[in-house]
Formats: sequence, structure tokens, C-alpha cells
Amino acid sequence: MLGESGHYGGRLVISERTEPKTLNPLTALDGTSRDIIGLISADLIHINRSSLGTEAALAKSWEMSPDGRRYTLRLRRGVRFSDGHPFDADDVVFTFEAYLDERLHSPQRELLIISGKPLRVQKLDAYTVRFELPQPYAAAERLFDSIAILPCRLLKPLYKEGKLADAWGLNTPPEQIAGLGPFRVKEYVSGQRIVLESNPYYWKIDQHGNRLPYLREIVCLLISNPDAETMRFEAGETDVISRLSAAGYSTLEKYENARGFRLYDIGPGLEYDFLFFNVNDLVSRPLGSITYKQTWFRQLAFRRAISMAIDREAIVRLVYQGRARAMWSHVTPGNKLWVNQEIPTGLHDATGARGILRNAGFFWRSDGRLIDPARKPVEFSILHNAGNVQQMQMATMIQADLKEIGIEAHAVPLEFRSMLDRIFKTYEYEAAIMALADGDADPNVEMNVWVSDGGTHVWDLTPKRKLEPWQEEVDRLMNEQLVTLDYPSRKRLYDRVQRLIWENLPVICLVGPDILVGAKKRIGNFHPAILRNHTLWNSEQLFLRQIQ
Amino acid sequence: MARYFARRILSSLLLLVSVSILSFVLLEFAPGDFYETLRLNPRVSEATVNALRSQHGVNSSLPVRYFRWVHSVSKGEWGYSLAYDSPAAPILWTRAKNTLLLTGTAMILAWIIAIPFGTWGAARRGKAPDWFVRGTTSILLAIPDLVLALLLVLCAVRSGYFPAGGMVSFDFSEMSLWAKFRDLFRHLFLPCLCLAASSFPVLLSHTRTAVLEVLESPFITAARGYGIPVRRLLFRHALPAAANPLISLFGVSIGVLLSSSVLIEVIFGWPGLGQLLLEAILQRDFFLVIDSAMLATAFLVSGNLIADVLLYACDPRVRAN
Repeated sequence: MLGESGHYGGRLVISERTEPKTLNPLTALDGTSRDIIGLISADLIHINRSSLGTEAALAKSWEMSPDGRRYTLRLRRGVRFSDGHPFDADDVVFTFEAYLDERLHSPQRELLIISGKPLRVQKLDAYTVRFELPQPYAAAERLFDSIAILPCRLLKPLYKEGKLADAWGLNTPPEQIAGLGPFRVKEYVSGQRIVLESNPYYWKIDQHGNRLPYLREIVCLLISNPDAETMRFEAGETDVISRLSAAGYSTLEKYENARGFRLYDIGPGLEYDFLFFNVNDLVSRPLGSITYKQTWFRQLAFRRAISMAIDREAIVRLVYQGRARAMWSHVTPGNKLWVNQEIPTGLHDATGARGILRNAGFFWRSDGRLIDPARKPVEFSILHNAGNVQQMQMATMIQADLKEIGIEAHAVPLEFRSMLDRIFKTYEYEAAIMALADGDADPNVEMNVWVSDGGTHVWDLTPKRKLEPWQEEVDRLMNEQLVTLDYPSRKRLYDRVQRLIWENLPVICLVGPDILVGAKKRIGNFHPAILRNHTLWNSEQLFLRQIQ
Repeated sequence: MARYFARRILSSLLLLVSVSILSFVLLEFAPGDFYETLRLNPRVSEATVNALRSQHGVNSSLPVRYFRWVHSVSKGEWGYSLAYDSPAAPILWTRAKNTLLLTGTAMILAWIIAIPFGTWGAARRGKAPDWFVRGTTSILLAIPDLVLALLLVLCAVRSGYFPAGGMVSFDFSEMSLWAKFRDLFRHLFLPCLCLAASSFPVLLSHTRTAVLEVLESPFITAARGYGIPVRRLLFRHALPAAANPLISLFGVSIGVLLSSSVLIEVIFGWPGLGQLLLEAILQRDFFLVIDSAMLATAFLVSGNLIADVLLYACDPRVRAN
């Protein structure tokens, strides 16, 4: 996306809620580190955060072999790292060797393993590399996004000494860190800020041939409290604010004109909140009461009634102040490339929910409590993250909605990691509210969620004895779309997955919150996107209309 | 004297060892670990998460982890931060210095105000100044720290006189020495005021009560009879006699220097130990949590020790015993 021609200079002040923990792209686990690394590094093929499609980055062009297993990438010539050293195919080969090294445990390694086998990279000449995939892979081009190319000259000696994982910590002197991104590290002050300065060797130019980036500096302040972050943006101490809450957005809206900033509601992102029941196989565990309740949770009619009883529009209205979308399927309307528009949207219908339960053999006591066919009152707890205000409010509203159909639901707030411990390790929960999101819109990243033996198949993580036909179909479809290379066929397969999820409700999708951000009006080329980094994805093109 | 302090130091060391063991045992019961959230990333497999756990010894037994930590303390590293992927000591020291700057300044401010006002209130018992002192104390005690901090941040945002958070401006390194001092003062003012306001009522009440008790003693009545001026009577005779409880309280003030500002640091974005500790607890970055607990305990122990030394120096009765 070509932006407006800008002016050189100026300092952009942004904020992050947590401090970056490392500047090493291989070992970075947290979002803030990845955001900062994204500004100081570049990849071979990049996902455009605005169009969601792929675009040339350090690879100026690429070709796929007819069988879809071989990708030949031609690299840009004359590109230099931020320390002035030239970039070539050796850097690419070294980078992928490092990412794939089992000893380094890079979280991005999984991306490069296809059907259990790693992709192979080969240098053809100084500016051409070939990647060989074990099988055709639909999202192969997208694999290269966010794999930061590392300087072989600087890091290979450390790699040989087995010290690569410890390289590029926060206290590493800036001159020892080199990347291919629009900025480079200038200063890090523990607990306060990280300052990036423009990379004088950056390879991108604007439409008039001027070298990017326009900005002289980006200062990233650490402001851990969301309210303080909002207030400091309002006070003018920061120029950009990401991940605004609906409440924060409403507060700032009042001062939008007076304080010279503009707020953006760019619609739903990729994240969605959902409710799910514990249907793990608990036979070998002493969790008797949950095992009994699983007879309800495993019934489609029960899940359907719960889904129908939940007033999603009220959640949108009251929890998100209208800045979210009610969801009936797991792909948000923000994911325009993959959302199945044919999925019917439902309505809150307590009477309909009662009808479904009645047909499934449930009945009501005189005091209105729902009783199961074995004459036990229907009651369960809903686990949610105590640190997430929206989820807390959602749980309370769901509790009230379920009361309408005679179900006693108890909202149980739990500290986030304790909640994850119950969901992933001990399975001591009945139902839970969670949110899932990922850095890409492609269905491939959700393989672990929807395939029955996936590690993020949160509602049922135990080994399965027998799959239901729809689960088998989801497994087959997800594996098929993985190797189907043309978009329309993949879309058909994934549309079917969405329909199966909607019909069988392994999870009950609730809402997809909007991406809310704010920025000073004087920032040019500011086009927030639904993919992370929402605000600075085109940092090289941002400029200040009035230089400080 | 030397034997007494040697015994105190030895018992302090034993206390520190006990706290370290207790911290390890208690944290063992905390559900979840640092790598748990990685499971939420659909791109990261369970195998990778488990490999990371093994690599950093998260799965090792409690004694193994404890002795590894002791070994690392002996090397001056104080354990390993999983989040920062680096030894904990440098991370802790930088933050601890910032916390001490904030809490130390707030403590000095609170004492400087509390002592004259407490003495003044006691000297004018039942009169307007006393009512003023007691009223102020009650109001400050009634306002929760959180509310006061948020109000101050809001004032800063609306007025623009003070920065709404942080420790220094981002162009601090480019400033002249005087500008640096002013910048630091402007950032320090509100969180310091907030901290001082929360400890001030307690100090003031103690000072007032202690001085009041002394003012009723016969030697003060005798001194009054000799015609000693009121100010001299209060500050040269009454206040030193009332020093014992205040010295003990001073010891406590030193003891909580590292642990009293967690909330204020988070709200004002002060880059101290409080923010680091909160983040470490939420992330289960256990060594940072244990180190913070150890530092806080060390300060508490030192605070008590300092109070004992001061009591020994000031009170002949303690020396006699």
C-alpha cells in the first residue's frame, strides 16, 4: 500500500503495557517483544496487515514449482543490515537453520514443520534461495511472515558456541544488534522505555524514491496500567494508543476534537470470546461431579439450548458498548477472506431454548429450576479470567440469561494462569469463557484448535477413543485445506468447517470485539489494521505533519 | 554489645534462609507456570512448551530448584528470570534503586511533616491546631491509596502541570543537569505525595500520642515551672523523651521501603520493583518473585536492626539492660 509522501524527522511516542523481554526473534515469546522486533527486523515475504494478502519484502519475487513443494525466492540486491553490512542468501540459510534447531526451542519452529517434517532451505546463489516443503502447503508464502532474517556474520559465531538463545537481550549494546527493519535500537532504560531510531540503511523507498522511514525516532514507553495508558494518551504524552477498551474509547471520545487526536473503530479483529464445556475424558480422574455433568455437556441439544439462551446482542451493547459483533461461528466478520457469510445468525430465544431442552427430556420444577431426566437439578460453574473485566461481565450476563431457562450457573473468576492450569492440566472445571486470537487470518493457524488431537482443542484435550462423524469430517477438511493450493477450493472446505462448528457447537461463540485505537491527527499515513501490530504495521511510512 | 549484635545478625540470616525456603514451598502450590500461556497460541505445540519447561528446569523437583537458586545467589546472579531470559540480579537492582528513590523521598517527606505537626497537635491538645491535625489525619486515613493516586493522575492529566506517569521524560539524557533535576522532581512529586500522604497519618498519630504522654510527665511540669520557653520545651526536652516509639516506627518505615509502593508504582508507571513484582507474580516468573520477597525481608530485618542501634544509642535504659 503506497502512502502519502511524508516529511523526514520527528519522534513518535507509543506505549506498551508490558516491557519487551528480549530482542532476540528466535526466543521472543511475548507480544511486546514481538512488536518491537517487528520494527527492527524484516521478513522475506510479508503479510500486508491491511489487505491480509502476501507481498514481496526481502524476497523481491518468488516462484512455486508445479507440484507446490518447491519455492524459489529471489532476494533484493544492495540491501544492508542496520549496521551497514550487506544482506545475502547466507543470512537466509542461517536464519532458517537457527529457527529449525531443536535445541533453541524457538516458538516459531512449529510453523516451519509441515506434517512432522521440517522445510529445507538451500542457497542457489548469493541472491537466490530455494525452500523445499515435505508436501504441498496451502499457506506456504505466509510461513515467511514474521520470520525475522538474522545477520549470519554477527550471530553465527554465537550459534556455534551454543549461545545464540542468550544473544540480543535487553542489555545488549545497541551496536551489537542488527536488523533489516525500518528502525534500530538506540536506547533501553529498564522499566521505562525503549527508543528506536531510523535505520539509515533501510531498503524501502516511497513513490518518489525517497528512502524510508520518515520518522527519526520511535519511543516506546512502558505503561502497565490500562487506565493510566488512556489518561497519558489524553494528556498528550503519547501519540498512539492501541488496544483501547470500549470504556476507554468512550472516555476519550469526549476529548477527541479538543485534544487533537482521532479515535478509530476498525471493526472486529480476529479475536473472539467463546464459552465451552469440559468434555475431556475424565474416567481415570476423581472428578465425579464433573463427569456426571458431562452427560449434559455432551448433548448437542443442551449446548444448542445454552447457545440460544445467551443474549449476545446484550453482551455487545452492555459489555462492549456496541463496539463488538455478536458471533455464531468462530471466524469473525473482520476476517473478510475466510468468513462464511452463509452461516445464519441467531437470536436470543429463551422460549426456543426451553423447547429444545423439553424435547431432550429435561423438565422444570415448580420453582422454575431445570431438572435433568435423572431428576438432578442442572447447575454448573463458568470459569473466567479474573483479570479480564469484559469476561467477568459476560459471565455475569450469561448467568442471568441461563437463570431465565432455569439453569443455575455460577461465575467463577480465577487468576489467568490458574485458570489455564485447570483447562490444560487438571481439567477441574465445568465450563469456561476464553478468547482466542492469532497473528494471521489464514485457517492454517487454527489447525491446533479444530483438529481433534490439536494442542489448543481446549474443550477436549484428552486422547479420544471414538470420534463423532462431524469431528472426523472437521479433521479431514482441515487436513485437506492444508494441502489445497487454490483459494476458492480452500474457501469451500473451510466454509464447511465453519458450518460444522456452527451446527455442532463444540464451543459457543459469543462476540468478536472491535479493534479500537487512537492517534494524534498530525500523524500521516496512519491506517490501523486488524492484524497485530495494529497501529505500527506500516511504521516506515508514518510521518508527523508538524515536526516537533 | 558486640555479642548482642552478632546474635541479631545471625538470627536475621536464619530468618532470610527460612523465608527463602518458605517462598519456594508456597510458590510450589501456585497453579500454572510461566509457559502455560504459550498453550493458547495455536501455532505452538505442546512438545515445544514441554521442551522449554525442561530446558529452564521448570519441571525439576523443589529441592533441585532451591539448590540451583542458592548456587546462583552465591554467584551473584540471584536466579534466572524466565520472562527476561537473563539472570535476575541486574533486573532487580535497577528497579530496586528506582523504588528506593521514590519511597525514600516519600518517607523523608512524611517524617519531616509528621514530627512538627504531631508535636504541635500534642502541645495544643483539644484546641484548633489539634483538631486540624486530627481532622487531616482522619481524612487521609479514610481515602484509599488507590483513589488518591487516581485522583492525582487525573489532576495531572487535566491540569498539565505534572506528568501523568513515568520517572523521567524520554529526552532526559539530552537535558542539562538542572533540567534533569527539575524533570525528575516533576515526575517524582505526585507519586511521592501520594505515598507520603498514606504513611503521614500513622506517623503523625504516633508522634502526637508519644509527645502527649511525655508532656504529662512530672519533669515537663517541672521544666514549665522553671519558665523554659514552649518551643525549647517541646523540641529539646519532650521530643527526645518521646523518641523510643518513634525510633521503632522509623525502623518499620525503613523495613517497608521496598514493599510499600507496589500500587502507587503501577498507577504512576514508576519503573520500580513493585511493577516488576506484580508482573512476575502474574507470569509465574518465580525467581523474580522470590528475590523480591528476599529483598523486602532483608530491608525489614535491616530496619529493625537500625532501630535497635538507634535505641541503644539514644536510650540509656536500653544500654543498661
